[in-house]
Amino acid sequence: MKAGHSQAMFFQSRAAEKVRNPVLQKALQKAKPLFSGKRAKSMAALPDDGLEFEQLRDACAGIRDRALTDLDVWLEIFEDNARARGAEVLWARDGDEICKLVIDVAQRHGVRKVTKSKSMLSEEAQLNEALAAAGIEPVETDLGEYIIQLAGEAPSHIIAPAVHKSLEEVEALFAKTHGRPQEERTSADIPALTREARGVLRQHFLSADMGISGANFLIAESGTAALVTNEGNGRMVTTLPKLHVVITGIEKVVPTLEDFATLMRLLPRSATGQTISNYVSLLTGTRSEEEVEGPTKTVFILVDNGRASLVGSAYQEMLRCIRCGACMNHCPVYFSLGGHAYGWVYPGPMGSVLTPLYTGIENALDLPHASTGCRQCSSVCPVRIPLPDLMHGLREIQHERGLRPWGERLGLRAWAWLATRPALYRALTRLAARYLNWLADGSGRIRIFGFAPGWTAARDLPVAGNRTFFEQYAARKRD
Amino acid sequence: MRIALYVTCLVDLMRPSVAFAALRLLEATGNDVVVPPAQTCCGQPAWSSGNRPLAATLAQKAIAELEGYDAVVVPSGSCAEQIVKVYPQLFTDDPVWGPRARALAGRTHELTAFLAEVAGLEAVPGEFAGSVTYHDSCKGLRGLGIKAQPRALLARVKGLSLQEMGECEECCGFGGAFAENYADISARIVDRKCDSIAAAGADAVVGGDLGCLLNIEGRLRRRGDEKTRVLHVAEVLAGEVKA
Repeated sequence: MKAGHSQAMFFQSRAAEKVRNPVLQKALQKAKPLFSGKRAKSMAALPDDGLEFEQLRDACAGIRDRALTDLDVWLEIFEDNARARGAEVLWARDGDEICKLVIDVAQRHGVRKVTKSKSMLSEEAQLNEALAAAGIEPVETDLGEYIIQLAGEAPSHIIAPAVHKSLEEVEALFAKTHGRPQEERTSADIPALTREARGVLRQHFLSADMGISGANFLIAESGTAALVTNEGNGRMVTTLPKLHVVITGIEKVVPTLEDFATLMRLLPRSATGQTISNYVSLLTGTRSEEEVEGPTKTVFILVDNGRASLVGSAYQEMLRCIRCGACMNHCPVYFSLGGHAYGWVYPGPMGSVLTPLYTGIENALDLPHASTGCRQCSSVCPVRIPLPDLMHGLREIQHERGLRPWGERLGLRAWAWLATRPALYRALTRLAARYLNWLADGSGRIRIFGFAPGWTAARDLPVAGNRTFFEQYAARKRD
Repeated sequence: MRIALYVTCLVDLMRPSVAFAALRLLEATGNDVVVPPAQTCCGQPAWSSGNRPLAATLAQKAIAELEGYDAVVVPSGSCAEQIVKVYPQLFTDDPVWGPRARALAGRTHELTAFLAEVAGLEAVPGEFAGSVTYHDSCKGLRGLGIKAQPRALLARVKGLSLQEMGECEECCGFGGAFAENYADISARIVDRKCDSIAAAGADAVVGGDLGCLLNIEGRLRRRGDEKTRVLHVAEVLAGEVKA
C-alpha cells in the first residue's frame, strides 16, 4: 500500500520537537483534565439513567460486529434505501477517487464554493488541496477546522482539531484573516472570537453552491446519514446548499435506527462527556415536494481506502471504531506530543493502529512501539477495541518481516541466549551489579550511562548495591 | 502450601531488598517458600518487541521451573501479568505447552494480591513512621485488577498514613524499552507523574513494580528532589526500609 501523504516515518524527530514546544505543552496540559474529567463525570452518572458502562460497551461492540460481519450486505441495503429516497450512491477505492468524484460532481453543477462540516475522510483524501487546485474554494465551517484551515495546518485531534492552538495564536490568525488590528485576549473573549468566526462563516453558508459533510453512521434500514455535532454548522452545510455530498467510510454502516440510538448512549459521553450532543441530524434522501429546505441533490461517497482489507483479518476489531477520541484523550503519549507528531490523519492509539494498516506497516514503524502499554485506551473504548493488543500484533508483524533495527534484534537474542543459561546468567549479572555499583561511585545513582543514554538523558539510574539478590541469597543460605 | 517466589530479573539486579522483603512476607503466611534457583527472566522484553518465538522460548523455561508449586508469587504486576495473561496466549493452540501455560497462569499471583486474597495475611511486620502515596502501575492495575490489595495491606502498617496523589492510575511513562527508545516522550510523562507526587507531598511514593519505581526515582532525583523516598510495597510491608 502507498504511504500517501503520511509523515509517520518522522515520528521520532517530530516528537523531539513537540515535547520542547512550550505553547503546545501548555495547550495540552490544559485540555487533558477537561477531556478525561468530562468523560468520567458523564460515565459516573450513567446509573442515574439506569445504564451501566460495561453492558453498554458490550451492546455497542455487538452492534458494530454485526454490521462488520455482513458488511457487504448492510452496504447494499443502505445503497438500495438511499437510492429509493432519491440519493445517488458512489463508491471510492481511495483518496484519489474521492477527489475525482467530488470534483466531478462539483463541476457538473457549476460549483465554485463548498462549505464543509468536519470530515476526517476528506483529510485522508487531502480533498481541500484537490478542490483548490480545481478552482473550487473549500471553506471549513467547524470552528476548530476553520482555525486550522486559516493556519494551513492539519487537525491534531479527531474531534478537537485545533486543540494544539493557543488563544493568542487564534487571535493573531483572526486579526490577520479578518482584516482587523490584533488585541490582547483572555479566555473571557472566546465567545467574542466565536461570534466573529460565525459572522464570517454565515456569509459562506449563504453563498456556497455545495455542502460536504462526513457521517458518524450510515443507517442501512432507512438509507440515512447520521450526523453528531455541537456547533450547528453541520445543519447549515447539509441543508442550505442545493447540493449535499456525504463522504464516509464503508465501515460506518449500522443496521437499524435502534442500533444508532444505542451507540448514541456512548458516543457523546465518550467524546465530550455530553449525554447527547447539541445537534443530532438524521439526513435521509433529498428534499421532497412538501419540504421547504434541504438539498435537491444528495450524493453519498462511500470509501474503502484500506478498510475492506481489514474485514475478516486479525484487525477487523479496529473497524468498530466510532471516532469518539476517548483513546487519545486518555493516552499519556498523545498528551505529551499532540496529534501532529503521528504524521497522518489519525493520532493517538487509534492512529497508531490505523496509520500502519492504511498507509503501510513499513511506513509507520514507530507508531505501534510508541506506547507504554498502559491500556488506558482500551479501558475507555466504548466499543471495546483491544488497541494495545492490535499494536502488539503490528509489532509482531514488524519482527516477522525483519523491520526491527539490528541492534534490538541482536540484543534480545543475546539476552535470551544468556537467560536460558542460568549459571552463566548468574555470573554475568554478578559482574553487572559490580559494574553498576562502580559507576554509581557510592552515590546510589548513575547520572550518565552509556548503555542507556536515553534513560539517563532525563533521569538518574538508581543503584542499590554491588551484589545481586541471588548472590546474597546464596550467601545467607550458607550461613 | 509450597510457594515459589519469582524474583524477576530487575529486582535481582537492581533492588535485591524487594525479594528479601517478599520472602519475609511470604514466610509470614506460614507457608513453605522456595526460590527456584534457575529462574532468570520471564521474557517480557522479547514479547514487547514483537519477538514471539523468543518470548515463547523464555516462557517454556519459566513454565518448566515454576509449574511444580502450589502457587507462584511475583513482586511485580507486569511480570505477573506476563505469566498470567501472555503465557497462555503464546501457546493457545499448542497441545503440550498450552495446558501447562494455562495451569501455571491459574496458580500465579502478584504479591499483594496473593497476600491479601489468597493467604489472607492479617498482620504485617513492617512499620513506617510517615505518609506514603501509592502509584498504581498499569499492568497490575488494568491487567490484573491490583488496586485495593496494596492499600488494604498498607493500612495495616503501623505508623503509616496513605496520602493519595491526583491521577494515581496514570502511567509513569516507563513501558520497558519505551523509556529508552522514546526517551523524550517518556521523560515528559514521568514529569507529570512527578508533579502529581510532589503535589501529594507524602514522605514516600510506593508502588508494586520496580521498573516504574526506578523511572520515578530517577526522574525525582534528576529534578532535585532528594527527599521523597521511592519504595516497593513489599519493602514497606516487610519493614525492609532503612531509616
